[in-house]
Amino acid sequence: MVRFSEVAMTRAQITLIRSVLLALVLGSWELLPRSGLINPLLLPPLSEVLAMLGKLIGRSDVQEAVAVTASEVVVAFIIAVPFGAAAGIAIAENEYLGEIFKPMLFYAFSIPKSIFLPLFILVFGIGFQQKVAYAAFSTAFVVVMSAAAAVESVRSEHVMVARSYGATQMQVLWRVYVPSMLPILLEALRISMIFNFTGVMIAEMYASRTGVGHLINTWGENFQMPQLLAGVIVLSAVAILFNEGVRALEARCSTWRT
Amino acid sequence: MRWPSPAAVRWMMLAALLVLWEVLPKTGALPELLLPPLSKTLAVLFTDRYVYFAALLVTLYEVALSMLIACGLGILTGALVGGFAVLRNLLLPVFSSLYAVPIVILYPIFTAWFGIGSSSKIIFAGIYGFFPVMLSTAAGIRTIDPQFLLAARSMGATLTQQITRVIIPASVPTVFAGLRLGGALAIIGVVVSEMLTASAGIGYLVTLNRTILDSPRVFAGILAIFVLAIAYHMLARAIESRVLVWQAAGRRRKSSSPDTSATVPAPVAA
Amino acid sequence: MQHLANLTERRDRTSGHAIEVAHVSHVYAGADGGVPALHDISLSVEAGRFVVIVGPSGCGKTSLLMMMAGLRGQSQGTILCHGKPILEPDPKRVGVIFQEASLFPWLTTFDNIEFPLSLRGVPRSERRRRSQAMLSLVGLEGFGERYPHELSGGMKQRVSIARGLVQDPPVLLMDEPFAALDEQTRMTMGHELLRIWSTASKTVVFVTHSLTEAVYLADEVLVMSARPGRIVDRIEVTLPRPRTYEMMATDVFGRLRERIWQQIRETV
Repeated sequence: MVRFSEVAMTRAQITLIRSVLLALVLGSWELLPRSGLINPLLLPPLSEVLAMLGKLIGRSDVQEAVAVTASEVVVAFIIAVPFGAAAGIAIAENEYLGEIFKPMLFYAFSIPKSIFLPLFILVFGIGFQQKVAYAAFSTAFVVVMSAAAAVESVRSEHVMVARSYGATQMQVLWRVYVPSMLPILLEALRISMIFNFTGVMIAEMYASRTGVGHLINTWGENFQMPQLLAGVIVLSAVAILFNEGVRALEARCSTWRT
Repeated sequence: MRWPSPAAVRWMMLAALLVLWEVLPKTGALPELLLPPLSKTLAVLFTDRYVYFAALLVTLYEVALSMLIACGLGILTGALVGGFAVLRNLLLPVFSSLYAVPIVILYPIFTAWFGIGSSSKIIFAGIYGFFPVMLSTAAGIRTIDPQFLLAARSMGATLTQQITRVIIPASVPTVFAGLRLGGALAIIGVVVSEMLTASAGIGYLVTLNRTILDSPRVFAGILAIFVLAIAYHMLARAIESRVLVWQAAGRRRKSSSPDTSATVPAPVAA
Repeated sequence: MQHLANLTERRDRTSGHAIEVAHVSHVYAGADGGVPALHDISLSVEAGRFVVIVGPSGCGKTSLLMMMAGLRGQSQGTILCHGKPILEPDPKRVGVIFQEASLFPWLTTFDNIEFPLSLRGVPRSERRRRSQAMLSLVGLEGFGERYPHELSGGMKQRVSIARGLVQDPPVLLMDEPFAALDEQTRMTMGHELLRIWSTASKTVVFVTHSLTEAVYLADEVLVMSARPGRIVDRIEVTLPRPRTYEMMATDVFGRLRERIWQQIRETV
């Protein structure tokens, strides 16, 4: 077992196996419905879904929904990050605040944030503000934890060395804190964005008049599978591409990290 | 002046919250539609106790089965992926990528395929919990010190004994962390899906009452879910600290958050 | 190397050679033909002796010890323990003691010491009797129900030694057992080890990178060169037993230590 666990594969082999797996998934998505093994009403062939995707992109109501969702995602993120970061830094730097709030954060993670959606609707009504407020609220928790983790990753020895060489507060901030935290900050932003995107999606799917989440929910209810699957493909692709992009950036920024 | 202890502050905050919940609507500072008083919410919860209890049973049933998927598959796959370099190199990057997808967008597919009954909730919440559990298990398995295996071999342990006497006990903290995480996510997943499209369950009650603007009943539902989630978390923690007496306090605290694959909490959204 | 001549003759437990290593070489597999780690090592350890192996980091001293324990194979050469080859771990012949981290954190002190016995299905009462005896040998009576995280570094190492001794193997192999301890604890533990060794009459092969520890503990110090590891010197430590802390201040101690240091410095 130990021996087997150390079997190494070359990069080329890994790429090959992954490509084969991907081809297998996409191939069966196309062929199984076509051959009738799977009901094409439940799972339309991939080609049909992609054709639908092409049509949807040209539709103005879809374009408008994308614009609404994108602006909700961006605005919610811009609100959640500074608030969450400030709170996170506060509980990381102040031991007393940390002891009070850190245990509560663990509980906060176990609670479905979606139960507060009705509150946001009661306060803001159904619309842009309510989506943004809910998404920012559900993202803030992660930002708080990530920011706290980032601050705590700064080694006090490094701060002490900098002080002993006469670094000013600002110099300590820019020369020690920022470079130490950078890799974690990127990771934190990436994961916060995943939460944020999920938050917007849930809010739009729950009660909405527009937005991509509203569209896929409606398509699902009306059993429009090609439209629904096309939407899911695009949303997944956007999420994965964003995630991989930031991860590549993380890898470049953290070459010195072990 | 001495500051009150952090625990005392937490209790005071909770007390203040409950008092405000009662006082703000009673004094008219907030309309009752927005925030029905605590007493009224509790009264509704009591008069409708059978309704809420029946809904809770549906939810718990769905949670139990989706937890089975999330934890069972998640821990198993995580152990394999963490334990074998071949699978790790092949699959871990794929899983980490898929993890970025907001799983909730798959839910309409599941309702289309499996209907709006319990099965779509169970499958959705199971998948929702699967990825974080799997990733945290894979990370946890990799932290098992190879020295343990070397020592066991030096004492003549057979391969079976190495697995049953070393690998399995050494994995217990990881497995428990996976169970706690998987259960929490199963609850979240089931509640979210019940709120979106359903015909039963506590999440459905919240949504139903929201559409008819029956605020006390909405808040009663919120309160019930809140208590359920907290109770699960406390129960899991209690069992964990009972079973894992051998873990040093510091390590236990660290492993209490392997919702953190590295440093940052995993996507436990919604 | 005249001691290699009578390699297979003596198999007695109390006299003769406990460990015989003959022409052992090892090459780590690699893309470009591999990295030579050990080169033609021959040595023998007489029964009842305390032999310490020192050498620069990465010289392969731990690898050599793992081969003696049967935990790792070598590319060439043979290793005998009391005349019989070591091909796999055999805790009845060879006990291995690692750094403190190798205690199982999920087992109490008793259960850790009894672990090798329980692998073999020794009944519980018998196990407990023997672990009790070991615990008092290492001076830890009353700590049997503690978990490793409740013990100090030195106490953990005592438990490790008790675990290595519980099956009464004639040979003990120790891989830098005190490396993680602070200097004072380390000295105390060295002294304790000598006390236990003198009552238990074992053959000990001890790997360390501390020269003071080497001279203080050993009958004989083997010096290894940097990679690929070879035995470059063999030094008899003529200091009388029992050893005392005062001996460290003597000229003899200083000269021995200096000679080892010279050897290591030349090979790096």
